[in-house]
Amino acid sequence: MFSLALKNIFFYKGRSLTTFLLTFVSVFLFIVYVAFMDGAHRSMLKNALDVYTGSLQIYHKEYREKGGYDYLIDDVSKPLGILARTKGLKAYASRLETYGIASSKKHSSAIMLTGVDFDKEAQLSELKKALKKGTYNSKGACVYMGETLAKRLHTDIGEKISFVGSAVDYSFVAELFDVCGIFKTGMYDFDSQSAFMNRRYFDSIFLSEGMATYIVAMADSLGENDKIAAHIADRLPPQLELYTWKTLMHSMVELMKMDSFFGYISMGLFFMVIFFVIMIYGFINVNARMKEFGVLRAIGVSDARVSALLFTEILLLTLAAMALAVPLGAYVAYYFQVHPIIIAGMSDMYKSYGVVSDRVPTLFDPVIIAWNSALVFGLNMLSILYPIRYVRSFTPVEEIHHV
Amino acid sequence: MFKTVAHMAYQNAFLRKSRALLLVLMIGLSMAVMVGLEGLYDGMSQHMIEKTKRSDCGDISLFAPRYRTENSIVYHISNAGKKVALLQGMKGVRDAIWRIESEGLAQTARKSRPARVVGIDVADEEKFGRYSDFLQKGSLEFGKDGAFIGNVLADKLKLLLGSKVIFSMQDSSGQLQSVALRIKAIIHTTNIMLDDRAIYISRQKLNKLLSLPPKSATQIAVLAGDTEVKTLQQHIKKAFPKLDAKRFAALYPQLKQTQQLLDVFNEISFAIVMTVVFIGILGVMYVSVLDRIREFGILLGIGYAYRYIRLQVFLEALFLALAGFVLGSVLGLLFLVYLKYHGLDLSVFSSGMSMFGLDSTIHAVIKPGYFVSTFIAIVTASLLSIFLPLRKIKRLDPIEVIRSIG
Repeated sequence: MFSLALKNIFFYKGRSLTTFLLTFVSVFLFIVYVAFMDGAHRSMLKNALDVYTGSLQIYHKEYREKGGYDYLIDDVSKPLGILARTKGLKAYASRLETYGIASSKKHSSAIMLTGVDFDKEAQLSELKKALKKGTYNSKGACVYMGETLAKRLHTDIGEKISFVGSAVDYSFVAELFDVCGIFKTGMYDFDSQSAFMNRRYFDSIFLSEGMATYIVAMADSLGENDKIAAHIADRLPPQLELYTWKTLMHSMVELMKMDSFFGYISMGLFFMVIFFVIMIYGFINVNARMKEFGVLRAIGVSDARVSALLFTEILLLTLAAMALAVPLGAYVAYYFQVHPIIIAGMSDMYKSYGVVSDRVPTLFDPVIIAWNSALVFGLNMLSILYPIRYVRSFTPVEEIHHV
Repeated sequence: MFKTVAHMAYQNAFLRKSRALLLVLMIGLSMAVMVGLEGLYDGMSQHMIEKTKRSDCGDISLFAPRYRTENSIVYHISNAGKKVALLQGMKGVRDAIWRIESEGLAQTARKSRPARVVGIDVADEEKFGRYSDFLQKGSLEFGKDGAFIGNVLADKLKLLLGSKVIFSMQDSSGQLQSVALRIKAIIHTTNIMLDDRAIYISRQKLNKLLSLPPKSATQIAVLAGDTEVKTLQQHIKKAFPKLDAKRFAALYPQLKQTQQLLDVFNEISFAIVMTVVFIGILGVMYVSVLDRIREFGILLGIGYAYRYIRLQVFLEALFLALAGFVLGSVLGLLFLVYLKYHGLDLSVFSSGMSMFGLDSTIHAVIKPGYFVSTFIAIVTASLLSIFLPLRKIKRLDPIEVIRSIG
């Protein structure tokens, strides 16, 4: 059966070449397309998580619904202790956020001021890497602010700004701070609204010692995040709730799903056309060989064996095309994962959509490559069903007399 | 003679019914999905651009010099009402509107967020951009202390209709001003820059709060009529040399870029699909000619001109392609009409779509161009697909063919 199929493949060169080329194009295109789509999504998400969000956050149960100082975590030691005993976390820290109006000599702007542990943040987020000017790990009445915010306030390193807001007991806070550091992450809202202060001094002004708006942690591997999150959630006090990045970045996750949805629809269109063409060539091929099938069936070859012959032919052609397309597609996916394409100005253009890097890497994932290839393989196998059905609709005598 | 050739071509084109049906189905279905996708992608980008123009910048926006770089109300446009009246009288201008806005802090009893307050006139906005379309909840009346709020900001601040919000901002003299506002309406423009940050109050009230002369504006937005936007921009620049006139593409480059990317993506998809369609037609035509090679040999042998055979083969390819085109046009049009009026409900991705400035239901647009370009591509594919089969016929030796019979 195998040698007969092989002989037919070489004999019917036109059909074989077309099927081979179309299968090759389908597999290669699908692997590379999905690698770019998933790579761009993962990179966008990873950048957003790495910059500040982390892979999981712990809040007081009602904070995200109601908000305000009434729903702060009032004793961070217990959840921090749980995180300390959890394996698979790269870093974790507590943060306390407050909002107010910051003013320089002539300009004012609304800001989010966050009390942080700068040492821990250096391991947890990109805050340290984002330093543009001045000092990162400042002490005392110092703020570390976003570049766009500094521009809005027309302020620079060494200058003073005032801040008007409220402490956690709702008492009035009006303080003068030095601008000690300026950062740029590329996230537009973040850079235009955020300022950070070392936690010790922050707590002394906002009366927030031992408290936190939330605790943030970053898992060593995003793939393990759900497992780690479930482990921590089981041990948290009942008034606290854990959220993973999937909830925290819900909009971005949905945006990516939507993009993938349209991506797969477009690929579906290509597959549909290619499927039809492969089927047409298969159909033309069996039409031309009708006499051959008639003779085979007349000498006692069963219908199942004839079908098996046609299946073997398409199987061999598909496997041959995949043997070339899969390694090539996988190599392209791997190469551009290691050497991402750089589209200059992309992050600036799409900053409001959370794009913070000009690099567009692919995602090399053997599992994804395997299912991409399996899908094309399956479609190719389906494409021979109609030609087989057509062959079986004739009797051997009709086939022998087929014109 | 043409009639006879055409008749023969028609008979032969559909002689092998299964084969013809497969080809027609392939062309028809791929074309239907292709035009459906084109309409959907165009609908997406047009929707984003159109709503952004209506809710914010129009086709052209005018600013005081330095306002866009300094983002300070110190750089405002004075006598905006007069300027808008002049613009409205200008040839090529459909409508113009002025707004005033300022950055600040929105606070409730529990939550705070940086936000921006936008001073508008509801009647003018309605005329300019059908503002009532953006109303999600409530009513569009400011009353004494009323304000409207973007739906995303309302969600972040947990504000409902009737809730109170305090907005603090810096006035033109550098003093901090606060105003207590009651939410009267929740607005959903799908322009994320507004939905995520804007609180709307009356223009007069905001001018007063900012200690600015009445009818001071930070932006004048212009909607173009029939005149080309670039030409209109030049006219406006001449009329208002001291103002900075920017076109939509400069104000929202990411949307323009997105539209261009979608166009390129559509063109690439179209080219790939049509190439594969061409391969399909080629295969069918080649085999169809091979099946009848003796018939063509005999025809040539009895003196039938080659040009008639060429015409017949071309017409056969064309009939098959046109049958596919008709099927594709009908299915594609039905698909597009459905998507235009009912839309594609993607509410499962609603918050992601909102982040990208889209409604959760996407409505397609229908352009004759989709069908014209597909028609041209299909006729071209038919024409190209006959070269190889015709070469085979041209190389035929009629005597050899006749000898081989029997």
